[in-house]
Amino acid sequence: MPDAAATALAPGDAAEAALAFLTEMSPDLRGGAILAGDGSVLAASSAPGRWREDAAKLFEIADAAGGEPVEQVHVATEQGEVFALRHEGMSAVVVADRFALASLLFFDMRATLRDLAHGTVPAPGDGGEGEGG
Amino acid sequence: MNPPKPHRILLDRVSGYADEAAAYMRRRRIARRPFARLYYAGGRSADHAHDSDAGAELFVAAGRLIEVAGKRAK
Repeated sequence: MPDAAATALAPGDAAEAALAFLTEMSPDLRGGAILAGDGSVLAASSAPGRWREDAAKLFEIADAAGGEPVEQVHVATEQGEVFALRHEGMSAVVVADRFALASLLFFDMRATLRDLAHGTVPAPGDGGEGEGG
Repeated sequence: MNPPKPHRILLDRVSGYADEAAAYMRRRRIARRPFARLYYAGGRSADHAHDSDAGAELFVAAGRLIEVAGKRAK
């Protein structure tokens, strides 16, 4: 049965809660954003306008590089690592410390977007019981 | 001479695994270079070197995102 407290959240609040939960689950995370299918920011750790522009640019470049839409992007630099994922008609973009475990982070991001799409976002502090851990 | 106690064997084994894991992480830190990897539906993936056109653009875009995320509070 879905958690009543979780399903009662408005879309913007649900996205904020989802991002907070993702941040709580991933200790390597520095910041991130969740974007709707049209590119608008549903939640961001800071400066939503910058996240919207820069995430759109990243996906644009990634799509052009292979001639087809990407599902996941992973760019590892000396300064940090960028993970971007499209799932359930939304996208999540996060920045993590170097050497973050990519498969775990993508798994958590995918679970977060799925929970958000299905209205079953766990409240921050509920970590460890979901399948996203 | 007495055989080693069972708990000693277990501790040795655990510390052996920990040593191997630590060595793996050290090698990974030294050997790993920056990269840009794209994943497509169906499981296909493609690497883009940082001196290729697409790779260079991906690194610039990633740099902007790293900048906006800022440093993590320790």
